Amino acid sequence: MEKAIEVRNLTKIYKGGSVAVNDVSFCVSKGEIFGFLGPNGAGKSTTIKVLIGLLRPTRGRLFLNGVNIVKHPEQIKHNTGYAAQETAIDDRLTCLENIYLQGHFYHLPRKEIKKRSEDVLKMFDLFDKRNNLSNTFSGGMLKRLDIAEALIHRPKILFLDEPTLGLDVQTRQAIWEYIRNLRYQNEMTIFLTTHYMEEADALCDRIAIIDQGRIKTIDTPENLKQQIGGDIITVSFSEISNGKVQKTLEKVKQISQVKEISLDKNKIYRIVVNQRGDKIIPEIFSISQKNETNINSIRLQRPSLEDVYLHFTGRTIQEEEENRENLIKTRIMKRRLRR
Amino acid sequence: MKELILDSWWVAYRELIKFFRQRTRLLMIVAQPLIWLGLMGNMMRGMTNSPMAAKALGVNNYLDFMTPGIILMTVLFGGIFGGLSIIWDRRIGYLEKLLASPIKRGAIPLGKSISSMIQGAMQVAIIIVIASLFGVCFHTGIPGMLLIMVIAMLFCLILSGFSLVLSSIIKTHETLMAIVNFFTMPLMFTSNALFPMSVMPAWLAAIAKVNPVSLAVTAIRELTIHGWVWGKILPSLGIILILDIIFILISQFAFQRETVE
Ligand SMILES: Nc1ncnc2c1ncn2[C@@H]1O[C@H](COP(=O)(O)OP(=O)(O)O)[C@@H](O)[C@H]1O
Ligand SMILES: [Mg+2]
Repeated sequence: MEKAIEVRNLTKIYKGGSVAVNDVSFCVSKGEIFGFLGPNGAGKSTTIKVLIGLLRPTRGRLFLNGVNIVKHPEQIKHNTGYAAQETAIDDRLTCLENIYLQGHFYHLPRKEIKKRSEDVLKMFDLFDKRNNLSNTFSGGMLKRLDIAEALIHRPKILFLDEPTLGLDVQTRQAIWEYIRNLRYQNEMTIFLTTHYMEEADALCDRIAIIDQGRIKTIDTPENLKQQIGGDIITVSFSEISNGKVQKTLEKVKQISQVKEISLDKNKIYRIVVNQRGDKIIPEIFSISQKNETNINSIRLQRPSLEDVYLHFTGRTIQEEEENRENLIKTRIMKRRLRR
Repeated sequence: MKELILDSWWVAYRELIKFFRQRTRLLMIVAQPLIWLGLMGNMMRGMTNSPMAAKALGVNNYLDFMTPGIILMTVLFGGIFGGLSIIWDRRIGYLEKLLASPIKRGAIPLGKSISSMIQGAMQVAIIIVIASLFGVCFHTGIPGMLLIMVIAMLFCLILSGFSLVLSSIIKTHETLMAIVNFFTMPLMFTSNALFPMSVMPAWLAAIAKVNPVSLAVTAIRELTIHGWVWGKILPSLGIILILDIIFILISQFAFQRETVE
């Protein structure tokens, strides 16, 4: 696979001396959606800002599409798109004016800007509102416009810093859909940061969990969940404590991925597997059929990404949510101050 | 170079869209000189009746004397607030967006300056029209008026450069406003914009002489009252141009420094 992003031993120390990113290395393949998942202050935004050339790395080597961006920052700017954590829309301009200006900042010809704005606004369902002043827009619309702007020059690599921060669940899902389509239609490489589990889980091909400037682990969401413990299959049989059930369980135990079987007080068997449980379930079925036992119900429980997050950062999401609330409050305050 | 100018233009264009959108502000721009010229002119008319005062002012009509002062005052305030929008851009993240785009970094402060120059020129044009309606006679005619606009724009450029430097160093709006006010008022009152130097006490006249506001006022006043007195216009213009270059360079330097981390 060709590499779209290659980061080698990146360290960023701010002027004040705070180490925001500490010896981070990772690669993102072309066409991949790669996510940075981590609590506030983990260094997610800092990493993005270094990658798009807003900040200089203190140490480390960075390549976007094979170009060393520290040495040739101007070569890469036409190929990267960026939607910041805080939506940066000039709310005294209309939707179209905002996006046209962005087109000019990326040196596109006027005709092309016109055509592409139309396309991209339609894609984000903003076309009907194109002539409205953006101070009439909701948070979700502003975010959509912000991402739309980042696409006007058809970047090869798109950086989204917490693309759904502070949005309600429906808007969030809508934005996920847009992001998925982007990758699908344009074969874009997408690097996003988030501290929403569901988001990382739903969107990312691979996730890096980052905490206090260090990457704790990188893997697919599936494998991450696997890492901290296998799936659990709970089964209950129609016949209780007869020989056939015992025989079935013996056979199930022989499946190589099955780690242990225990019986809980409600006569339900818990089968812990060290791989994806959904692949084991059919086997359990066929074994029980052969032994003429009837399965009453069967359920698959997976460790959630939340468990993974807790495992690697030592924090629960509730704590993060509180931080997030504060963040949104200050954002609302900022907007109010402006009027 | 061509790219720098184009990039600057789009940065300026954004400010101009917003400028023309603010109806009340546009209204104020027309209303202000109307009030100044109408009210002040009427109040001060008595003054030029006294031959002493008329001699000191060098005009028979106080408005002739005051119009250049008003022009300068307008571009002074316009220019100094022009650069401040960069603070707002920083606050809402727009500055970051500009910096992430491939536009030339220097185009950002330059664009802000260009937009305040254009706004300044428009305001000056309005003042000239209104003053003419009030009977102010511009001795050098339309070419003179155009040169007045150019001088005003160049002066505006100095101030926007100054405010860009300030806003690169100071990041909060409130502090900056305080500093701006601290500079603008004294700049105005220690110049010959409102009173001729001949009636000032010696110490004030000394300050007024080196105050750049006086330079611009002198040039504009000559064009308004006397005609093409190049001996007074050219030196003023020269010094203003030098200050322009100095402030452009400093503001570029300050901006580059503040946006690299
Ligand atoms: N401009 C800055 N100057 C100094 N420290 C900063 C600056 N921006 C961020 N930091 C610090 O760097 C760390 C990482 O911040 P950030 O990258 O914004 O985290 P995240 O995006 O994961 O929430 C935090 O401890 C933060 O306080
Ligand atoms: Mg962040």
